[in-house]
Amino acid sequence: MAHGFTPSLIRALPGTASGYEESLQTFACSYIRNLYSQRANGQFLTLAGLLFPGNTCDALQNLGDVWKVRFPDDRLFRLTYPVTRYSNDDAATKFLAEELKLLSQAVASTFNRPFLTESYNRAVELVKDFRESAQFLYSARVVNPKMIPYAEVVRIVRTFLTAPTISSASAVKEAADTVRTTAENVGLVDTIEDVRQAILSGDYSGVKLPQEQESPRVAIAGGMVEPQAIASLVEDMPDIPSEVIVLDLLSFGFKTVFTKSPLKSDDPYLSMAESILTAPGEPTHEGLSYRIDAMKGLLSNLSIQGLIVCEQSFCDPDQFEAPSIERAATDLGIKTVRVPLDPELSDRGRIETRIQTFLETLE
Amino acid sequence: MTQERASEEKPYRRLETQALLQQIAFRHGLEAMEASENGNLAWVTSGFPVEIPIAMNLGVVYPEQAGAIIGAQKIGPEVSGIAEDLGYSQELCSYARVSIGSTEKPDEVPIGSLPTPQILLACNNICGTVLKWYDAISEMTGAPVYLLDTPPIAGEQLPHNRAYVRRGVERLIEFIGSTFNRTLDDDRMNEVADLSSQATRLWIQALEACKTKPSPLNCADRFLTMAPVVSSRGTEHCVEFYESFVEEVENRVKNGIGAIKDEKVRLLWDNIPPWHTLRFFNILASRGVVFPADTYTHAWTGNMVGVDRSSLLDQVVETYSKVYLNMGLEAKVDKMVQLIKDYDLDGFVMFSVRSCKRYSLGQLVSKEIVTERTGVPGVIIEGDMVDSRVYNQAQIETRVDALLEMLM
Repeated sequence: MAHGFTPSLIRALPGTASGYEESLQTFACSYIRNLYSQRANGQFLTLAGLLFPGNTCDALQNLGDVWKVRFPDDRLFRLTYPVTRYSNDDAATKFLAEELKLLSQAVASTFNRPFLTESYNRAVELVKDFRESAQFLYSARVVNPKMIPYAEVVRIVRTFLTAPTISSASAVKEAADTVRTTAENVGLVDTIEDVRQAILSGDYSGVKLPQEQESPRVAIAGGMVEPQAIASLVEDMPDIPSEVIVLDLLSFGFKTVFTKSPLKSDDPYLSMAESILTAPGEPTHEGLSYRIDAMKGLLSNLSIQGLIVCEQSFCDPDQFEAPSIERAATDLGIKTVRVPLDPELSDRGRIETRIQTFLETLE
Repeated sequence: MTQERASEEKPYRRLETQALLQQIAFRHGLEAMEASENGNLAWVTSGFPVEIPIAMNLGVVYPEQAGAIIGAQKIGPEVSGIAEDLGYSQELCSYARVSIGSTEKPDEVPIGSLPTPQILLACNNICGTVLKWYDAISEMTGAPVYLLDTPPIAGEQLPHNRAYVRRGVERLIEFIGSTFNRTLDDDRMNEVADLSSQATRLWIQALEACKTKPSPLNCADRFLTMAPVVSSRGTEHCVEFYESFVEEVENRVKNGIGAIKDEKVRLLWDNIPPWHTLRFFNILASRGVVFPADTYTHAWTGNMVGVDRSSLLDQVVETYSKVYLNMGLEAKVDKMVQLIKDYDLDGFVMFSVRSCKRYSLGQLVSKEIVTERTGVPGVIIEGDMVDSRVYNQAQIETRVDALLEMLM
């Protein structure tokens, strides 16, 4: 954004026909197969360039290499992340800051668009506004899921991640303002703010949820599964109120929303690196025990009674972490269900039945 | 493809030094048990700078090697099944699955389960899976994990990447030091690095001897004899083994003795082998097909040369960052092209390992590029290194037959 571009999160697209077979085996994760097929079938919008993450998972790492060969005219960039999160020194932050700087230089020289401090500062404001509002909405739903439908929250978050503009950020802000007004009328604003701070800090001692909660209260765990896909699955279920979904812990939902915003700084690269490394951990990083402890804190303090563990098919990070998540939830007496998914929801009927049966057992 | 012949007419020659391998494996097993009992055992990934834990007097074992042993015993599906019962998907790395399975129920895996670790040392230069795998083992055993993060590089290793990995190596020394209350002795580090270099140089010597015709070694020979350079580099007995091994290999070269009896076609093997079906190579040997080179055993060719601790640690950074699996598709293609040229190979077989994404995804593209750059044909066969449930012999035979028809 500091270079004058609009970053758009590329997602798996349900209904994408095959197209990956020329370059990827069937055991490639469903997410990268879908992305490749979209490109091969000409389903992408016109993009100035594509940024691949490096050092996150083997599938995405290899996809970047394959893409470079198959679509040589695409302008590709790579941002390599450190896996280290708990080194107790600044090595990971420095590494990521330098990666961001190199990326910025590559973007500047490819497009002849320099990094503008003014644009960076505007982007910081925009992201800050979005995150604070989205955090408020997520926290409000923890306190009372009826305040705003889950599908609505993930829809406006998705819109912002697809096109982070003043307009999409305003939609999130307006939704948060509306919910805040409602919460003020029933005296819940402080409780919501307490929840927000607790999630950010990991200290739940100040959280006191209203005593009368409708049940069941369910959370969704997983990685790059699309929050909106989950929302639409639950919405389509007869006799299941959508309020059962209290919280997701997904990459394109909770984990993005609860990352601390970067600051206006003399060293924007360092500030961005510090921000990125506050993201609630992904299973592609070190620190399984930290992540599980953080999840346990959330589940036990936010009165969660059921956990739906989503895993993308052939996704190493999701599939390795799922058993640990299940065990941790079981230790807390929280019921779980594992749901293997692909972006096409190709087995939608079975998935719906599985989730519906699970929700019915919680009632 | 035909069936392997009766033993008296075997089309391949057995290495005499294979007997030494059993002794080394036995010794290694005993040392690992003793280290575990003494609270000193590290599990390490195959791409880990093992010279450091060895120099800090830890015993080391390699779960990947244990996975190969489980695969070779053809009990992969059963041991994987134990992990699958714990919730680990059948789509995950089969080395990881059998490691988790044999840790959960060691009594059911008498050969291939490893003694309890006190520390888990992973380096992600070979894949990102190792961290998640070791995290799972950590949950089961309580042993702490140390990850040496070596972010992938494309071409040159940039200064910030080198500095980050270097700090990771320094933290590794601190981590082992604080966990076991010990320090790294510079003289011991030099000694271990020197032994490691000696073993690696001998290993490279044996690999390069396969450029001669007939090739003194076939794929299966190298897959078996690579064990010490993976598991024991940095020790005296490892050097001793490779001295004997190289002597035998050079003797074969001198006397024109090939690994197989009638060498007609020379192929490159790409990827981890199907440990459960190593006879694949012997069956092809009966048709005159030898594999003088492969991408897997050529991965252990980094050399540890330095004059003091600082230069040695820099060498650790360089050697373990520049594993070709950590350098992207281009580096892998370059490696294959170079091997095909240097070893004068007629074609190549790429084993697409369903549960090894880092090594296998990209093969469809690299196959085309390698053929384009070398002019030799290749074929992709699909299966798994340990899990024989996804190894379709008939389909593999059909594909390899098609390749051989072009070459013979």
